[in-house]
Amino acid sequence: MVFVLGNNFHPQKLVKRALESFYSLGPQTSARIMAKYTIHPLARLGSLPTKTIVSLTAELSTMTIDNDARRIVQDNIKRLRDMGSYRGRRHAMGLPVRGQNTRSQIITARKLNVLERGGGDRIRGT
Amino acid sequence: MQPTRCLMKGRSVWKGPHIVPLPIVRPKPGERIKSIKTQARSATILPSFVGLKFQVHNGKVYNDVEITEDMVGHKLGEFSLTRKPFIWKR
Repeated sequence: MVFVLGNNFHPQKLVKRALESFYSLGPQTSARIMAKYTIHPLARLGSLPTKTIVSLTAELSTMTIDNDARRIVQDNIKRLRDMGSYRGRRHAMGLPVRGQNTRSQIITARKLNVLERGGGDRIRGT
Repeated sequence: MQPTRCLMKGRSVWKGPHIVPLPIVRPKPGERIKSIKTQARSATILPSFVGLKFQVHNGKVYNDVEITEDMVGHKLGEFSLTRKPFIWKR
């Protein structure tokens, strides 16, 4: 078991995959972080020395990720809702916000346009 | 972000925010704020509108809208719905 920022990961897991499991960290940011600490793109967590993992945790703790990042998105939607604007109403109804047709194919909107976007805390690892 | 940029929301810089001449009368202290009846749904809400009351047309009736600080930069029409929510007939 490898601990990164209080989360348990399997040592066989790719470092890239482990980093991208945090909300708001995508391919670009994860590649940048791995380049900063000279980690191979296909390196696994078990192959990293403890020093690198500690510095990775230190790097991640300075960024706005996970629940902080999720809260930013949720606050923006909440502000629209509290104003009573059209966009906020559409979020509350789970319908497309930017004027798309709703006759068919609004699966993405149903999935994403909710007041609590991104969901709650998720259990990660293994 | 520059404050004027915030008002424009994707409009060109040289155009500036969409300003519509509205009959705004500043109420004297102690007087009741009279709401402003308007059909200009596309008018940008300016910082000077905060605290005023508008009656915005939705094509049929005039809906009451009270401007708060958050609404600056949005359009008046965003706060006056034009569509009836669909409810299955029972």
